[in-house]
Amino acid sequence: MTFLMLTGRTVNQGVTVENKTSAEYAAETSTCFMHGFDMLELGLDDGDTVRVTGPCGDVVMRAAASEEVEMGTVFVPYGPYANHIVAAGTCSTGMPDFKSHRVEIEPTDEEPKMVHELMEDLGGLAYDR
Amino acid sequence: MIVKDAVCPFCGCLCDDIEIEVEEGRVVAVTNACELGTTKFMGEKRMKNPILRDGDEWKDITYDEAIRCAADMLLSAERPLLYGWSGTHGEAQCVGVHMAELIHGVIDNTSSVCHGPSILAIQEVGHPGCTLGVVKNRADLVIYWGSNPIDAHPRHLSRYTRYAEGFFLENAFRDRKVIVIDVRKTQTANVADEFVQIKPGGDYAVISALRAIVQGKADMVPRTVAGVTKEQLIRVANLCKNAKFGAVYFGLGLTMTQGKYKNIRNAIELVSELSRHTKFTISAMRGHYNVYGSNEVNTWMTGYPYGIDFSRGIAFYNPGETTAVDILARKECDAALIVGSDPAAHFPRKCLEHLAEIPVIQLDPYPNATTAFCDIQIPVAVTGIDAEGTAYRMDGVPIRTRKVLSTDYLSDEEVLSRMYALMQEVREQ
Repeated sequence: MTFLMLTGRTVNQGVTVENKTSAEYAAETSTCFMHGFDMLELGLDDGDTVRVTGPCGDVVMRAAASEEVEMGTVFVPYGPYANHIVAAGTCSTGMPDFKSHRVEIEPTDEEPKMVHELMEDLGGLAYDR
Repeated sequence: MIVKDAVCPFCGCLCDDIEIEVEEGRVVAVTNACELGTTKFMGEKRMKNPILRDGDEWKDITYDEAIRCAADMLLSAERPLLYGWSGTHGEAQCVGVHMAELIHGVIDNTSSVCHGPSILAIQEVGHPGCTLGVVKNRADLVIYWGSNPIDAHPRHLSRYTRYAEGFFLENAFRDRKVIVIDVRKTQTANVADEFVQIKPGGDYAVISALRAIVQGKADMVPRTVAGVTKEQLIRVANLCKNAKFGAVYFGLGLTMTQGKYKNIRNAIELVSELSRHTKFTISAMRGHYNVYGSNEVNTWMTGYPYGIDFSRGIAFYNPGETTAVDILARKECDAALIVGSDPAAHFPRKCLEHLAEIPVIQLDPYPNATTAFCDIQIPVAVTGIDAEGTAYRMDGVPIRTRKVLSTDYLSDEEVLSRMYALMQEVREQ
């Protein structure tokens, strides 16, 4: 199913932001907040994993029901998971479209990667696993 | 030991009423700060010493080695990018600008991916803003547009708006109305008197509709605009016109969506329409505690707020060309110095693919996502905890952050000054 992906700050993202190698930061920024009906449509329970595919690739996240998002929209806290699929185009403003990406979401059996694994996939070397 | 009136180095609220209890060189208790600030003050997972990437391994090195090696890397680059700067103090930002000029680099700060578009709009139509104290004491109407302070600036509501006392308001909680305009029904929307839910991407149209109504042209407005009914738009416009003093605070919900700086321009022009009827102001909810400072320092030193390119020997500014995401995505820079930010967590993947290919030096107290792309990381003292320096609050008020404990870590300013001195020596030869 196609969704509009928004990204933004959450308290839990802010609390863990200076500890990016922690499991808590990975868990928060890999959460895909969805409307309950959309989860029903995709056969998802809270905590099930989903593959989110954007214009630049795909990433595995965990779905969570939220009353804050409308049907057809998903919300992902700022971080390396959302940015793994966000395009770098800025329309000559310097600012990517962090809040207006169309993404495909489908259930998957894969687990979300850790932050350092995502960085290693892009050519980095993990320091603190 | 208890340190009173410490300044919180997390968000743009820069709260200056924090009490910190220090025992044996550690912060053991924090009073008055929100959850974000408390966690930052209590954070202990610092990197212990500078590290150097050696093939597929990390080696511990000394500060002297790290500073010398970092200076050499930047001097050998033809088009170095110096990025970040929002998570450090103004004195370090100054050294950064001098360094960019010396090595003909590009210096950009995190505002290019937060309120850069707001600055573009302000350059077009000006900024009718005011300090937070004016809003706290006078505003009887506050609008949060595309911002969610409960999560991003948790004390904004209690210090300045919803839950704050006001000198010129008899009963501030009763007399001050709060409107939230957003695509999501956030926690902040739940404490508002009026919530206007817009369809994603519809902000520009809703602002235009409000402008039309304020101008007395409500008959031109269709029955719904981006999911908002005409009745609600008229009610909101009337609340604005009937307020004695209104304040709009906008967040990244306006800068990161379609339209970007045009949304902000339209919002500023709405405020200008409203100021024909009453007093109205508009300001950005700045994120990092000193992102405003990085714009100030850059502006007074170079004439431009961010995205400044010194490759011609003079300051050149063209957002979209001289901004970090664009330069990395075009694979243009051949070295990067990152200070006080974490682009690997917050930039699109294409930018990281280029970071992996070039020498990267980072000054940061903690291991973060960008560490994986570093050749050298130099741990530094945290401004507001074990280093002091000037930061600018979201309303442009400079506040000196305090040192609440002493450690052996060098500050950003000390490390950068030593790098800069080495670079000057080489360039003078």
